Amino acid sequence: MNRRVVLWISIAVLCIYIGIALAAPLIAPSGPTAITGKPLEPPGAGHLFGTNDVGQDIFAQLVFGARITLLFGFFSASLSVLISTSVGIAIGYYGGIVDEVVSRAIDVFMPIPVFPLLIVLTTFFSPGIIQISILMGVLGSIHGIRIIRSQVLSVAQTYFVEGARAIGASDVHIMSRHILPNVMPLVMAKFVSSSQHLLVMGVGLSFIGIWDTTTVDWGTMIQNAYSSGGMALGLWWWILPPGIAVVGISLALAMIGYSFEEQFNPRVGVNRL
Amino acid sequence: MIHNGDFQRPAGPLLSVTGLRVRFPTRPEECVRAVDRVDLAIACGEHVALIGESGCGKTVLGLAVMGLLPVNAKTRGEIRFRDCDLRAMDEPALQRIRGKEIAMVMQNSANSLNPVMKVGRQIAEPLRVHNILPATEAQDEAVRLLAAMGFADPAQAAERYPHEFSGGMRERILVAIALSARPDLVIADEPTSGLDAVVKAQILRLIKDQMAERTLLLITHDLGTAGYLCNRLVVMYAGEIVEEGPTDELLAMPRHPYTQGLLASLPSSGFHPIPGMSPSAADLPAGCRFFPRCCCVKEQCRQNHPPLIPIGHNRKVRCHRYD
Amino acid sequence: MPVISSRYLIRRLGYSGVSFLVCVTLTFFLLHLMPGDYITNYLLWLANKVPKEAVDQFYQQFGLNLPLTDQYILYIVNILHGQWGYSYAYGLPVFSMIVEKLCWSLVLLLPSTVFGILVGTAIGAWSGWRSGSRRDLAVFNIMIVFRAIPEFWWAIMAVMVFSFYLRWFPLGGYSSISILSAGLSIPDVLYHAILPILLMTFFIATGNYYVMRSSMIEVIGEDYITTARAKGLDEQSVLWRHALKNALLPMVTLTTFQCAAIIMGNVFIETVFSWPGIGYMTTEALRLRDLPLLEGIFLLDSLLTIGAMLLADILVTVIDPRIRMGTDE
Repeated sequence: MNRRVVLWISIAVLCIYIGIALAAPLIAPSGPTAITGKPLEPPGAGHLFGTNDVGQDIFAQLVFGARITLLFGFFSASLSVLISTSVGIAIGYYGGIVDEVVSRAIDVFMPIPVFPLLIVLTTFFSPGIIQISILMGVLGSIHGIRIIRSQVLSVAQTYFVEGARAIGASDVHIMSRHILPNVMPLVMAKFVSSSQHLLVMGVGLSFIGIWDTTTVDWGTMIQNAYSSGGMALGLWWWILPPGIAVVGISLALAMIGYSFEEQFNPRVGVNRL
Repeated sequence: MIHNGDFQRPAGPLLSVTGLRVRFPTRPEECVRAVDRVDLAIACGEHVALIGESGCGKTVLGLAVMGLLPVNAKTRGEIRFRDCDLRAMDEPALQRIRGKEIAMVMQNSANSLNPVMKVGRQIAEPLRVHNILPATEAQDEAVRLLAAMGFADPAQAAERYPHEFSGGMRERILVAIALSARPDLVIADEPTSGLDAVVKAQILRLIKDQMAERTLLLITHDLGTAGYLCNRLVVMYAGEIVEEGPTDELLAMPRHPYTQGLLASLPSSGFHPIPGMSPSAADLPAGCRFFPRCCCVKEQCRQNHPPLIPIGHNRKVRCHRYD
Repeated sequence: MPVISSRYLIRRLGYSGVSFLVCVTLTFFLLHLMPGDYITNYLLWLANKVPKEAVDQFYQQFGLNLPLTDQYILYIVNILHGQWGYSYAYGLPVFSMIVEKLCWSLVLLLPSTVFGILVGTAIGAWSGWRSGSRRDLAVFNIMIVFRAIPEFWWAIMAVMVFSFYLRWFPLGGYSSISILSAGLSIPDVLYHAILPILLMTFFIATGNYYVMRSSMIEVIGEDYITTARAKGLDEQSVLWRHALKNALLPMVTLTTFQCAAIIMGNVFIETVFSWPGIGYMTTEALRLRDLPLLEGIFLLDSLLTIGAMLLADILVTVIDPRIRMGTDE
């Protein structure tokens, strides 16, 4: 299996997912919550994946749920990467007291486990999906700051930064024009792996009921099917589609992320000679 | 099976390399020709230096003799040690030779020594691996070697870890490791790289003393080191031998333009660099490989690849000027 | 044996202490900011039939009528004494609930962690040693695929295939109906535990595999491996005497972490299998919005994670002779 082929397939899969999510109202005009058929109908005419226990079309739920799941994953990943990159570049570049203080703060905050903290905070706030994804983004960025920072340190100490300063370039200019491009591969790799990680975690969190369980996303779909005994009754079409959908995008993102990492650290991958 | 000391001193060369080619395929159509049809013969007791710039193939040649090339290397030609074909041997047979008959003084990098193993054990390891001495005696021998290498408190040094030593001391440890099983042939790869002048002189002195009874193949880019340690010099360029001869003669009267250029580029001669860069081993020119940088070219140098021409009874040059 | 500078140790302990303090402070403020206090939330289900002694006891235990700072100090003291409050939903002390459920979780966790680490490290070492070969690539790609599939989905699929369709294992829970008549039977519990343990082992192993493999690949590229080969060592000896010990160094940190992280119970697997451990309790508590219980779980997790980081730092110093804590600070 050629690596290149796998990469392109993964990117195609990703685009298909995003396309479906965007085009949801066109593909399934009735919406996710409309009752369009008899309960627990197997896949057939009019219902591509059948219906659930109240007669809602599973396919419609799947495409509309994609929006929420994908939004959560990519939004929190973007936020996480944005924060860790800007903070990492800033403290790596400026160094000194700023670096000391922030690094010590990270030393203090890093051991704090994110998952139970998230659960505690959501119990307290009862927030919506956007707020939870903001929380995930912020909490998840802490670990990344360290990684970006060490990369920045190795770049900032090279001579071309000295040279740029010598011609009078401003700090912001140096950071954005010189340091950022050098850190970009790492940032991209982080973004992809964070997306995968956070997207899957989002489905998992929704599975255990962290936000309003009446929202339709892949996690709640799986939860509904599972807890209502969908498996015990052999109603495979109820539980399989959302799960396979998650697996699909997780695999695609993992493959893309892995290709990035291979570029970065060629020894991790294959000795192709 | 070859046993140390069981043989009479053979009349033939100790190490004989014939027509050696080492290539690394990088892409389906391209390959890096690291070593290209090299012939080399080293007699018992000789000290030979392989001189060249980085990338000329000298280290690859050393590794080829040891059988330590990476898996993607394609080798052709013959390497005979004591008249046994090394390339025909299987891995276990080669392992019996490595360290015991032929040893290598590795280039001293930050990680040439196992960071989590005590130095004494690392020196004693060849003795244990080849079952020359039992454990305690091997350890004693390691301490003795450390003393011979100039360590002030060898017993304590043996209990230390590599990172506790400076570059010069680590180089001595690497020499000790190479010598511990008393090999007949020692290949030393850039033994003084990265060391400052004082330490370098000490190490060179040490090597010269230790090699008195042994055969040495020195791999270096440093003419001074080669001149001090060796009685025969072999100059390599772009994967082939371009000049060969006894040290004094060659340094006094170099024939090949490249050798002349090397000598001229020494600080003592005035620091005249050779113009241009050595060719990429993946894309070698058709005629003489030194042609683009040569000061005195003839018409045929561009098209015809010069053969290695013998001059006198012990000199060889690869240059059309001596055709 | 390298000496651990006591100054460094105290510094690390200090940081750990501060981390924990941050967690405790956070939980305190959240608890306090929640509308109503223990009385109204906890004893809600007793309606108004609260005896005055109980109310007084609460006031004394938690200092509910003291100023904020005093309450804070009292809270910290309580935490250190193991008085972690009372669950809103169950009315029981949080600490004893957690301890009880922890034991159940450990039934799953201990075997899976041990086996997962061993298996993952072993396969990772083998894979890294033979990196680039067809077998290594096959295993590597399989592992990537496995790891990309979320844990809860593995669990659901496992239950579907093995329990529902094949009927090899029970559908969940920790015991069968026989518990009602014959009481708790150890073999029965173990039978119920097999599938979750297998899944957890599997998941832990994939994590270890990846790190060990990368570590091994790094080590193989190092110069001292060539030095070892030049001495005439055969491949097995090079692997065991030189490569492995160096490759295992990063695993120490990872493993310590894993042990701590996984101690907290695996929320997904326990929920899917209805296994009455901490993970399952977390889901239930989330559903019931039981803040003190969730905070207790959070505090325990923090304690373990912070402790694990500290332990990992110390262990690495002891094992890796290159690192001397305190001398280079």
